[in-house]
Amino acid sequence: MFKKHLAWAVLPVAAVALAACGSSSDSKSDSGSGSAKNAANKTMAIITVDPSNPYWKAEVDTAQAEAKKLGYKTTVNAHNNDQTKQSNFIDAAISAKVSAIILDPAGAKESIGAVQKATSAGIPVFLVNAEIDQQGIAKSQIVSNNSQGATLGAQEWVKAMGGKGDYVELFGQPTDNNAKVRSDAYHGVIDQYPDLHLLQKETANWDRQQGKQKMEIMLQAHPNITGVIAGNDEMALGAIQALKDANKLSQVKVLGFDGNNDAAAAVANGEMVATALQPIVQGSTMAVDQADQYLKTGKTGANAEKQAINCVLITKDNAAKLHDFVVAQ
Amino acid sequence: MLARLKANRSAIIAEGRALLALVIIVVFFASMSSRFLDTTNLVIMTRHVAFNAILALGMLLVILNGGIDLSVGSTVGLSGMVAGYLLKGWEIPGTHQVAYPSVWVVILVGCLVGMLVGVVNGILVAKLNVAPFIATLGMMYAVRGLAELVGNGQTFTQLFGQKALGNTGFVSTLHDNVLGLPFPIWVMIVLTVLCSLYLTRTPFGRWLYASGSNERAAALSGVPVKRVQVRIYVLAGLCAGIVGLLLTADLSAAVPEGGSGYELNAIAAVVIGGAALSGGRGTVRGTIIGAFVIGFLVDGLVLIGVSVFWQEVIKGAVIIVAVVVDQAQQRLQKRRTAKQVSGPGSSPAAPAARSESTVMTRA
Repeated sequence: MFKKHLAWAVLPVAAVALAACGSSSDSKSDSGSGSAKNAANKTMAIITVDPSNPYWKAEVDTAQAEAKKLGYKTTVNAHNNDQTKQSNFIDAAISAKVSAIILDPAGAKESIGAVQKATSAGIPVFLVNAEIDQQGIAKSQIVSNNSQGATLGAQEWVKAMGGKGDYVELFGQPTDNNAKVRSDAYHGVIDQYPDLHLLQKETANWDRQQGKQKMEIMLQAHPNITGVIAGNDEMALGAIQALKDANKLSQVKVLGFDGNNDAAAAVANGEMVATALQPIVQGSTMAVDQADQYLKTGKTGANAEKQAINCVLITKDNAAKLHDFVVAQ
Repeated sequence: MLARLKANRSAIIAEGRALLALVIIVVFFASMSSRFLDTTNLVIMTRHVAFNAILALGMLLVILNGGIDLSVGSTVGLSGMVAGYLLKGWEIPGTHQVAYPSVWVVILVGCLVGMLVGVVNGILVAKLNVAPFIATLGMMYAVRGLAELVGNGQTFTQLFGQKALGNTGFVSTLHDNVLGLPFPIWVMIVLTVLCSLYLTRTPFGRWLYASGSNERAAALSGVPVKRVQVRIYVLAGLCAGIVGLLLTADLSAAVPEGGSGYELNAIAAVVIGGAALSGGRGTVRGTIIGAFVIGFLVDGLVLIGVSVFWQEVIKGAVIIVAVVVDQAQQRLQKRRTAKQVSGPGSSPAAPAARSESTVMTRA
């Protein structure tokens, strides 16, 4: 008898959960107080990768806030690097007749079709964070300069290593173009130093737990390493945890990338040598501003479709000022 | 009596095969790397195994019933996130006061969260008759979403607590060594013993094997099959909750995507250990050996520096080979038992069922 009641008790819980979802999306689509009257009731569709990662969360939060400030409603979806999902969200945006789409694309080649589909339907698309392999379809492609950021990070790390020593590399998700771009830029700097030896390269799929477990085993294979380079902060933080457990953090220099809050704290207290801040807040703001400009004037106001924003090197000197992907002036 | 002896032998063979795979893996990696059999390395690898083994014990219970639980990975994430949230302080709704529950409360809540997910799974499967695959697939998404909602997508770090707040010790309790071994390994050992006793020494264990072999027959002979079903999902959820807590302490951070994909590793361990996905057959010992096979294989490949793409290929191949060999052996076994017990009116199914019930007494 009790179980029967329990079964029914689940229903109201589910209903409340649904209601909660509904109300939160309402608050998201709150239009601003009409700072731009002609934009009233217009909607921007924001399609991102995965808001559970602080980096993409900052991307979404910034774009939403900026769009709201300019008087747009917003919808937010996440494709988790799945092209089919991305395509579905684009279809949904087209049928909802949104004014513009802010998209963090899932793959440089794979996303061309999706962007084309929206453009053909008369909806301008503004790409942020990652690019596509074709120009002339999207109105803007705003990316952070991964190669430049990784070069800066690698230079700082080489300095900390004193130009010599054995190290291992934690590589990002192999299907993600940025994993290769960053790794190539790291090696562009590091490989000029013949006394720096790469002993092993493992992928940890951008993930902190995997970074830790892979690092623990690599430490067994190579107990005397003095350096770790990681394709992003999460993997670097996992490696740092493994090094702490093995009491080896003091002898090993770790390099990250992204500039999230945990990494900023790690750099500030000396656990991580450096990280490269991707100016995602700036990029996200620019994408929304350009979308707004384009809707009002037919031009984005930028000189070129492809725009690369430089990364900022975060070291002990400026780590304390870094918060939520913005360095305080 | 003779049939029982034969059945015992078949159980030994089933586990022996998994054990053989483990021995091959150990010998191979030991010959490739001198570090493999180093005590420190063995302890680290066993700690990695422990997370999967605990999940696999819960998964074994579900699979013995002929079900499957795809939501355990997400439950790991949710329990970890709830623990992280509580350690950072819980703002009591309606007031501006922040409560800092002590560590044992956090641990208890983490376990309860896992059990609650299990209760929902159990109700969906047993009461609302949703197929286990679908019910737990839905819960896999829903619970992952909840895990992300807990911190609004944020990671909780610095979970050491503060002396003044009286909530220190989460990380050190669940992570540090106890009597020379990391805490997760002890949890694995204790749960293995408990689970083994539960399956072999209690009526519930017999009910589980009976209802997994033939649910209708079990129900007709008075086994409370629905109650059994709800309970196994709750226990699988509890195991996931425990792993969520252990992983959070291990990383000293609660990440919302923690444990994603773990359900598949747990299923693989159970299957390599000789359990049948159709239910009714499988042992605790086999499952634990299965978890060691996967864990040592994955870590061993990293240790000797095999490329990551080959790591995936090899792991997949080992799972497939284990099941193929198992199937071939099952067929052989059935044919043999059918021949031996053939008498007037006995169908081939009857002896097979009997051999399974004897397997259970040896779990």
